[in-house]
Amino acid sequence: MRLSTSKIVASRKLQVTNKKTTGRKKLLAACSLFLIAILGMACRPTPTVFIKKLRNNNFQLIVNHKPYVVKGVCYNPIPTGKGYDVDWWGDESKPWLVDGKLMQDMGVNTIRLYQPHEHAEEMKKVISDLYNTYGIRTIMGHWLGFWEYPCPLYANPDFQAKIKKEVLDMVSQLKDEPGILMWVLGNENNYSCLGRINPWSSDELDQEPDPQKRNNKRMRIYYSFINELAGEIHKIDPNHPVALGNGELLGLEVAKEVSPDIDLVACIIYRGRTFGNLFRALKTTYDMPILITEFGADAYDAYKKKEDQNMQAFFLESQWRQIYENLAGNKEGMGNCLGGTIFEWTDEWWKHNQGDPESWGVHDLQGNWQNGNYYFDNREGIKNMNEEWFGIVALSDQIENGLNKRVPRKAYYVIREFWKNPLAKTKLREGGTK
Amino acid sequence: MKKKLLFAVILSFTISGLIRTVILAKDEDRLALLTKQAIEAKDNKEVYAALEELKGTYFSCNKYNEFIDFLNSLLLQKKSLEPAINYYIALTRYKQLGFLEETQDWNEYFSSQDTYRQQLVASALKTIDSVKPSDIFSIYAHLLLWEFHKEQQDALIDKSLDSLVSSVQNYASQATDINTIKDVADRLIARDEKLRARQLYKLYVDKVANSQIKNEELEHIAGGFYQEGNLELAESLYDAYLDKLLKTMSKEKAAPILIGLANQFAIKDKPDAKQDAMYAEKIFKRLEELGVKEINDENLLYTRAYSLEKAKEYSRAKDMYLLLIQRFPQSGHFDEAAFKIGIIYTYIERDIKTGRSYFDKLAQKEAISPQVISSIYQLGLLSQWEEDLKKAREYYDLLLGKAKDSYLETVNLTKERIKEIEASAPIEYNLKTFLDVSLKPEQVDLDLSQAALKTTLYRPKKEEVVGISSLAVAPESGCMQVEISYLWSGHIGQAKPAIQESAFDTDYKHTGTKEVNLVIVSPNGVQERSIDMLDVQNP
Repeated sequence: MRLSTSKIVASRKLQVTNKKTTGRKKLLAACSLFLIAILGMACRPTPTVFIKKLRNNNFQLIVNHKPYVVKGVCYNPIPTGKGYDVDWWGDESKPWLVDGKLMQDMGVNTIRLYQPHEHAEEMKKVISDLYNTYGIRTIMGHWLGFWEYPCPLYANPDFQAKIKKEVLDMVSQLKDEPGILMWVLGNENNYSCLGRINPWSSDELDQEPDPQKRNNKRMRIYYSFINELAGEIHKIDPNHPVALGNGELLGLEVAKEVSPDIDLVACIIYRGRTFGNLFRALKTTYDMPILITEFGADAYDAYKKKEDQNMQAFFLESQWRQIYENLAGNKEGMGNCLGGTIFEWTDEWWKHNQGDPESWGVHDLQGNWQNGNYYFDNREGIKNMNEEWFGIVALSDQIENGLNKRVPRKAYYVIREFWKNPLAKTKLREGGTK
Repeated sequence: MKKKLLFAVILSFTISGLIRTVILAKDEDRLALLTKQAIEAKDNKEVYAALEELKGTYFSCNKYNEFIDFLNSLLLQKKSLEPAINYYIALTRYKQLGFLEETQDWNEYFSSQDTYRQQLVASALKTIDSVKPSDIFSIYAHLLLWEFHKEQQDALIDKSLDSLVSSVQNYASQATDINTIKDVADRLIARDEKLRARQLYKLYVDKVANSQIKNEELEHIAGGFYQEGNLELAESLYDAYLDKLLKTMSKEKAAPILIGLANQFAIKDKPDAKQDAMYAEKIFKRLEELGVKEINDENLLYTRAYSLEKAKEYSRAKDMYLLLIQRFPQSGHFDEAAFKIGIIYTYIERDIKTGRSYFDKLAQKEAISPQVISSIYQLGLLSQWEEDLKKAREYYDLLLGKAKDSYLETVNLTKERIKEIEASAPIEYNLKTFLDVSLKPEQVDLDLSQAALKTTLYRPKKEEVVGISSLAVAPESGCMQVEISYLWSGHIGQAKPAIQESAFDTDYKHTGTKEVNLVIVSPNGVQERSIDMLDVQNP
C-alpha cells in the first residue's frame, strides 16, 4: 500500500512526536534506574571489613571505616606434653585470655587460627573474648582437608562437597561475630598440586603424560575449587574478605585466571631476613593485595646448638620493616601489603615427632627442614628450621593458673618497640637514593 | 732463683711494652702522616687515597666509632673535606652494621641500628649532593647506597643501581683513572649483578684497549686478571688483545698464541675456577676461521672434545670426538673417544642404534682396553634391557672371556647382570630406572641430562678418593620437607651410596672411563636424571 505525500509528512511528524515521547520515557526510565541504583547503593551497608583499592593502585584493608594494618600472630596454644589434637578451645584455664593480655601489651591486633573447632559455641567464645576484652580480631582459616588421609582429593566431587559444607558451616557459624576479620582458605595446599607434598590425582590427571601439564591441570582444579568456595562465602557473608592461602607465589598465575572471586592472597613466606622481590613480583604478575599469613624465624641455633633469641628477633624485625615499607601509602614500596601474622605466638613442643606422644613433653632440639635464607645456623647437612622453637613467647614447664607460664622472647619486645613507632624506623629509606 | 725469675718476667714485660710503644708510635706517626696528606691533598683522588689507608687502620681493629670521631675532628681542621668525610661516615656505619650482625652483638645492634642506617643514607646523600657527578666520592657514595639497598632488599635496589651505573658512565667519560670503573664492576659481580658488571667491564676494556697501551702490556693485564680469577674481565681483555694481535701478526705466528690461550681456558683434570670451556671454544673457533693447520692436531682435538664434554656440551663434544677418531684412527685416545661417543648417542641423545654401533666397533677390536670391556658390557646391558636375554648373556660371556682376571669392576657388574638373567629377575632397580628414563620414548620429556651432577676430579688416579654429588635443588615445598631419592648406578666404584645420599666419596681399582648414572625421584615421580663420565688413570 502506498501513502500520499501529506500522509507521509503527517506520519513522519507523528513518528517524530512518538520518538520524542519515547525518548522522554527512556530518559525518565534511565533516571529512575539511576536513582534506584544510587538509593540502593546508599541503602546497602558498607561491608564491615573490605579491601579498598586506592587511586594510586595501593591496597588498604578497611575495618569499620578505618584503615587497618594486620599486626598479627598465628595462634595455636598447645600446652607442653600435649599433641596437635588437644582441645584447647575448651580449656577451663582459658589460655587465650592470658595470651590476649600479653598480645595487647605488645600491640597485636589480630590472631590467625588455622582450622575451626567442632564446637561452635566454644569457638565463638574464644573469638568474642579476644575481641571484647582486648580488641583482638581473628582471621579464621580452614585446612581444606589438606591433612586428611590418604590425601586431599581436590578432583573428587564428593571430597569437594564435604569440604565445601565444612567451610560454609564455619562461615555461617562465625560470620556475625564482631571479632572476625576475614577467612583464609588453605595454607600451603598449592604444593600438593605439584605432587611434592600430599599428592593427589584423578583418572583424567593420570592420563596426562606431561608432568608440567598435569601439574597445571591440578592447579586449575584446585584454584577453581577455591574460587567456588569464595563465591559461596560471599553469598552468605558479604562482610568479610576471602583470602587464598598459598605457599609462596607458586601457582598464582593459574589462580589469576580461575579465581576472580578471591579478595586477597594470604602467603606463607620464609625467605629469611627479607621477603626479597615478593611484593614487586606479585604486583607485576597478579595485582592482588597480600597478607603474609606465615613468616618468622625460630629461636634455636641449630649450628651452635643453643637457644638464640637475638637471631629470631633480628629476622623478625627486618621482616616487619619490609612489610611496613610495602603498606599502602609508602611511595617507595609496592603498596600491596596489608600486614602479617607472625609464625607464631607460642612454641609447640609436639611438632618434631608428631607420632610419638612421649616426645610432646620434650622441647626437641632437632631441626625439621633446611632453609639457607636463615643464614646464621645454615650449614650443609643441618636442618636449621626448628619447628618447636618458632614462638615469640616460650612455654615454661612451670604451671601458672593451669597453664604453662608464658615467657616472652626478645622478639616480642623488639617487635613491640617497632610497632610503637614503625614510621620513624622505616622513614630513613625515603629519598635513600639519587 | 726466684729473683732471677722475677727479673726475667719484669724484663720481658718491659721489652714487650717497649715494642708495643714503638709499634704504637709507628702507627701514630703513620696516622699523623696520612691525616696531613688528607688535609694537604690537591684533589679528591689524593684525599681518597689517604682516607682509604686511614680507614683500613681503624676497620682492621673494628674501631668504627673511633673512626667517626677522627673524621669529625678532621672536619674541624678542614671544612672542604666534608664530602669525603660524609662518605666515610656512611661507609663506617655500613661496615659497623655488618660487623654487629656478624659478631651477633645484638645489644648494640638493636639499640643503634636505626641511627646508623639513618646516618648512612643521609651522609651518602650529602656527599652525592656536594660533589660533581664525575667525582670519585660520588661514585663510591652511589656504590655504597646500592650495596646497602641490595642488602636490605628494599624497593630502592633498582633505582640505586641505575644511579650508580649512570654515575660511573659519567665518570668514565672524563676520568683518567679507570681503576674505579673496574672496582665498581668487581663489586657488582661480587653481588651477582653480572649484566651491569659486564657493561662496566666493557667500558673499562674499551678505555684500556683504546689507550696507547702496548699489546704485551694488555696481555700482561689480562693475565693478571686471569690469575686473580676474574675471568669475565680477563676474557674481555684477551679478546681486545687478540684483536690487536691479529691486525699486526700473520696467522701462522698468531696461531701458537691462540692455541696457548685455548689450552689455558680448556677444562682439564679437575674442576677449576680458572677454566672456561666456552671461552676456550671461542678461541678454537677463531683458529678455525683463520684456517690454520694446527686446529686439526690430534691432541688439540682431544683437548677441545674433552673440555666440551666436561662442560656438558655433549653434542659438540661428540662431534669433536668423531672428528678425532675419523682423522686419527690410530690415536691413543681412540677407545676413550669411541666409548664416549657411544654413551652420548645412547643415553644423552637417545639414539640407541648409533650408540650401539660405536660400542660394537670397540667390542670387535682385538686389542683389549677398559673401554673395549665397558663397551661389551653396554651391549649386554642394552640387550638385557630390551629383554633379549640370550643376546645379553652372549655379550656378558664374551666379556668374561676377554677380561679374564682384569677389569674387576666391570666384571663384577657383569656377574650381577648374569645373576639377574639366571634368576629371571629384572635389572637392579636403580639401573633399570635410569635405563627406562633414558631410553623409553615416552620418557623423552624427562631428558634433563644437564642436571647438576658433579665430581671433585675428572681424572682420578686409581684408588684416589673422588667425591661425586648431585646439586639438584630440593623442590620448593614451603616448610614441608620433600623426601628425595637418589638412585645411583653404573660404575660408581667401591662406594654403595644409599637412596637418600645426594653425595658420596668413592675410588676405583681399575683404569678406564667410568659412567656414573643418577636418577632423582621425588614423591611425584622422576624429577631429573643425569650421567657423567670419569677417566680413571694410572698413578
